[in-house]
Amino acid sequence: MTSPPAVLEMRGIRKSFPGVVALDGVDLTLYPGEVHVLLGENGAGKSTLMKILSGAYRKDAGEIRFHDRPVEINTPRDALALGIRVIYQELNLVPHLSVAENIFLGEAPTSLPGVIDWRSLYARASKLLGDLGLAIEPRTPLDRLSLAHRQMVEIAKALKPSATGRDEAAVLVMDEPTSALTSREVDQLFALIGRLLSRGVAIVYITHRLDEVYRIGQRVTVLRDGRHIATTMLADVDVGELVRLMANRDIREHFPRQRVAPGAELLRVEGLGRAGVLRDINLSLRAGEIVGIAGLLGAGRSELARVLAGADRADTGRMLIDGKAVSFRSPAGAIRSRIGLLPEDRKADGLVAGLTVARNIALPHARQLARLGFLSSRSEVALAEPIVKDLRVKATATQAVRLLSGGNQQKVVLGKWLAGDARIFIFDEPTRGVDVGTKVEIYNLMNRLTAAGAGIIMISSELPELLGMSDRVLVMHRGAIKAEFDADAASQERVLSAALGLD
Amino acid sequence: MRARRFGTLIGLVALGAVLAALSPYFLTVSNLLNVAQQTSINAIVAVGMTFVILSAGIDLSVGSIVALSGVVLGTLLQAGQALPLAIAGSVAAGIACGLFNGALVSWGGLPPFIVTLGMMSVARGAALVFTEGRPISGFSDSFRVLATGSIGVAPAPVIVMVAVYLVAHIVLTRTTFGRYVYAIGGNEEATRLSGVAVRVHKMAIYGVSGLMSAIAAIILTARLNSAQPIAGMMYELDAIAATVIGGTSLMGGEGSLGGTLVGALIMGVLRNGLNLLGVSSFLQQIVIGAVIVGAVLVDTLLKRHRG
Repeated sequence: MTSPPAVLEMRGIRKSFPGVVALDGVDLTLYPGEVHVLLGENGAGKSTLMKILSGAYRKDAGEIRFHDRPVEINTPRDALALGIRVIYQELNLVPHLSVAENIFLGEAPTSLPGVIDWRSLYARASKLLGDLGLAIEPRTPLDRLSLAHRQMVEIAKALKPSATGRDEAAVLVMDEPTSALTSREVDQLFALIGRLLSRGVAIVYITHRLDEVYRIGQRVTVLRDGRHIATTMLADVDVGELVRLMANRDIREHFPRQRVAPGAELLRVEGLGRAGVLRDINLSLRAGEIVGIAGLLGAGRSELARVLAGADRADTGRMLIDGKAVSFRSPAGAIRSRIGLLPEDRKADGLVAGLTVARNIALPHARQLARLGFLSSRSEVALAEPIVKDLRVKATATQAVRLLSGGNQQKVVLGKWLAGDARIFIFDEPTRGVDVGTKVEIYNLMNRLTAAGAGIIMISSELPELLGMSDRVLVMHRGAIKAEFDADAASQERVLSAALGLD
Repeated sequence: MRARRFGTLIGLVALGAVLAALSPYFLTVSNLLNVAQQTSINAIVAVGMTFVILSAGIDLSVGSIVALSGVVLGTLLQAGQALPLAIAGSVAAGIACGLFNGALVSWGGLPPFIVTLGMMSVARGAALVFTEGRPISGFSDSFRVLATGSIGVAPAPVIVMVAVYLVAHIVLTRTTFGRYVYAIGGNEEATRLSGVAVRVHKMAIYGVSGLMSAIAAIILTARLNSAQPIAGMMYELDAIAATVIGGTSLMGGEGSLGGTLVGALIMGVLRNGLNLLGVSSFLQQIVIGAVIVGAVLVDTLLKRHRG
């Protein structure tokens, strides 16, 4: 098949953030009338690439050509002027306004300055929706529409002839558009995509659902660790090949896991559920064990961590600690049961940035440190100082946490639980945003904790780390545990297949 | 944080120096004691406000709670109840209003602004209903001594104010409760995940604010020799101003009572000085408003400068 001239070419795109290279020499070529699927694990660089395309980020190096002319996309405005439109997973619509108002939000036709010309507004919305083959009444308030229809309104909004710049969208980026749709709604969406293709739009389609990829896509690009792995016609590859391309096989980092013989069961979870997030979770954690939890974003991993740590309540099922049933009404209850949570977002959930290192570490233990309600700074520092030294936090105990680097902040959150008598640790993305040296320190700490008889549940989006450190790996998919592997039997391909919902 | 407090203190000293140069009467002992006495009520209300704002909340109901606590006190005294009992009743009314605010914020999950706006109206209305809109006047000297008495040169209200600040400062800096106030204001979710009973403590914080309003009401009633249902109008704004001038962040988590005291004194000195200089009360409002915004502006600029 000979391709028509490309609409857009990205060549050798490079982008780094402090401490990480997010994209390293990535190419992407888009042709009119084609759906180009962009595949990759969490953190592979898909979002970064799309943010460069839409002007949200500026590339460090590389070239973008539009209809074979070199262009610079420095701001979202530049991208809009070229006819590049992005539809994000979270819809940017105002629920109480009508469909037409949403489509023309901020650009409504006016009769007098500042006075909306309603007749023209509805007429233009009607025409736009009609052209796209959408049977949606423009006067309907948005919050009366189904999610699928809202998504279509968002698409219509993206495709509306813009007041400035080009008349037609040339490139449409869709980020996981089907993640919340029923299969009938997916059919409707795909029909719409088909109509867009016949108008010559080039579509970038990001998804984790490999079954859809073959229904809708013509070409696929796979990214891994910020690098361009392959671009090929979908007709030439099968699902297994795609998974192999996405999985990270070459980099076998060395993980210093020292296994210990598992001891008594610390934690047992039976049939745990929480409406809309978790379904029938069963797991067991023994002393000396690290149980890894894999899954894609939104699979329910952090939600599970929060329920286990008493931050959210379960609707169904039960938890046993040392064989005794427990029920947590608050995090305080979980802490009394010697559970320590290292939350996914340490700034939002782990630390009080304005307080000192010592006061953050002492916060869960303030009552035990206090005498008759009186709490001395000296006792807080006395508690924290050995931990600061032990974890090699590069700060003094009396420094405000706000001034510390990411890795040191993470150590402070770890220190909160090391200062107490926690025995069941829930580590949600323990090495996210920390430097390599600190990562290794955290791995060594995990070894020490398990050697001392603690159990660790570790959630991580980095598969090599998860496989390298865990004794067993559970894979979550849409709120349920989809598969369980022993460390020896788990491979990246198998874990990833389960996380993607393939069997 | 220390530099900020000194910044406010320098502002107070500079203001005093200017007024001393403009008016020979300003720097006399009797005038300074007068300023301290006039400041005491706002300063005490501002203690409660500081607790609330440190926890990232706001309390608009303090002025109305002053009025309600005052008329409860006046009614009990008028009915011939013993002074300790009357004071206990007044304090109980103030704390109850505060705890009710706190309960709605904690368990109702409502914004503090709305809850205390409601209480502002409800407590004011209750004070008016309670007294049928009439002030209760004429109390015994044994009660009035709380405003008119003195130890040495120190007037009783100033002694009460100093005692309140000492105790409150110790609570804020040396107790678990105080630590939780800062932690909740700094990051409520992280504090909850650290096992702190956030709701109970938030309720207590508003209770402290109610208590401070009641203490202010006792001094005010003794000074005026009258409990008035319309007392305490706009006190919430003066208390917020003193707290904010004193360097406490409206976002919560940062600030100190020392700063609040200096903030209250700046407002008191300014009012006193403008009176001494014969500035009309209409113009005074403009000056005070400008000082509030100016103080926070300087603070913000300094903070940005330091990164």
